Amino acid sequence: MTVASFITVSCCLFLFGVFLLFTLNMNSISEQIESQCEIIARIDFDVSAQQQQDIYNTILNLENVKTAELETQEQALTNFKKELGDDAVVLEGLEGKRFLRSSVKISLKDIRKSEEAVKYIQKINGVAEVENRQDIVSKVVKFTAAVKKGSVMAMLILLIIAIFIIQNTIKLSVHARGKEIQIMKFVGATDHFIRMPFVIEGVMIGTLGFIASFVIITFGYNAVISSVSSIIRLFDFVPLQACITPLGISMALFGVLMGALGSGLSIKRHLKV
Amino acid sequence: MIKFKNVSVVYDKDIIGLDNVSFKIDDGEFVFLVGKTGAGKSSAIKLLTGEIKPTEGDVIVDGIIVNSLKRSKIPYLRRAQGVVFQDFRLLPNKTVYENVAFAMEITGKKKKEIKRKVPKILDIVGLGERAGNYPNEISGGEQQRVSIARALVNSPSLIIADEPTGNLDVETSAEVMSLFEEINKMGTTIVMVTHSEKIVNDMQKRVIQLENGCIVRDEEKGVYNLGI
Repeated sequence: MTVASFITVSCCLFLFGVFLLFTLNMNSISEQIESQCEIIARIDFDVSAQQQQDIYNTILNLENVKTAELETQEQALTNFKKELGDDAVVLEGLEGKRFLRSSVKISLKDIRKSEEAVKYIQKINGVAEVENRQDIVSKVVKFTAAVKKGSVMAMLILLIIAIFIIQNTIKLSVHARGKEIQIMKFVGATDHFIRMPFVIEGVMIGTLGFIASFVIITFGYNAVISSVSSIIRLFDFVPLQACITPLGISMALFGVLMGALGSGLSIKRHLKV
Repeated sequence: MIKFKNVSVVYDKDIIGLDNVSFKIDDGEFVFLVGKTGAGKSSAIKLLTGEIKPTEGDVIVDGIIVNSLKRSKIPYLRRAQGVVFQDFRLLPNKTVYENVAFAMEITGKKKKEIKRKVPKILDIVGLGERAGNYPNEISGGEQQRVSIARALVNSPSLIIADEPTGNLDVETSAEVMSLFEEINKMGTTIVMVTHSEKIVNDMQKRVIQLENGCIVRDEEKGVYNLGI
């Protein structure tokens, strides 16, 4: 029974660990996407350099603004030329002409409140228009929320399934010792006294399962991340060093809880004597 | 003292275990519960140990209304009782000594006290030299003696024996019964369920006969005669 329980717990913990790492990476990717969702405030042509700086300062001082970057008309033209590369010849003769606006590129702390920020920035004197990729923002917000909600749900479901599996595995061992439990009950042992060795056994199985699955996951994660990173270069994945502590604590708690609850619940029926 | 006050037990599908049964057993008495299979003997035993609750009435043991005890208090009731079963119910992976000591360990007794008391009890039941043996290494009669030693070790005021000689031959049964008699002489109340005519007739103790959940006979020095 101990071996069967150990294997079951290890498998459940392995799945839990994989899922946790997936969730951590999904959250990290969502945050990276969120940080790339910029708002651009374009400034009127006839606004002076000092007024542009004032507009920039006003925006920078807004509570929800994480970073802001002022791009003058000259800088905008230079950047545009860079983007065009060899085709930049089409811009010859346009120097000094007012066809590109100065702008402030803004990234927000909380993109869920982007609409409020846009409304406020639009009212600033000298701001001609505000470009807000609301469609992308709302999709990212929805996606992030769904990932977080889905993660919690899946982990809860996994916990219930794991407890059910471990309970059934341990039940076999408890059943084999049913007579012993019955005798203990008849000589006056309390439920607590009878349950405790089983719970300790469950906790030990949970701990051993945690050690085995944690070792596999930590070794496996580095290998998987390095191969995935070479294919998907768009995002940075969470390095093992950054997630090893929360991963270890979560898996250990999950393992101990699973072992203790599984044992405790499987013995319940035999205590009704 | 044991008191059954208008006790009825009805199981699922309206099967009657006991039907409005009342009786009293004084401290230090030796009482046989006799009757055919399904007469209600086991129900009476289960009520005494708190394994089941009466559908109606009260079961009182040493002033405690057993049926009103919380589940968590039942173990403490059982510590004041010793239970002996027909199939001995010994822990196979523990020695004779450990089986007896175990009953003290669960009550939180100190090791020193256990080491002092267990050999004494084993001597009383005549198993002092079998202390290191496992249950499968001793005879049925000896196993029942271990079971009696285990029931005795916490100095209970009541011993409940459910067909303790059911698996033993006549000679061994007589030995075990004389042991029970000795224990009874020390002041312990004994309630024994038995199907053995010889034992009941030889002992000449109080006999309560049950039939279809009712008491049909309660005699001071009764005999085993289910036909009455």
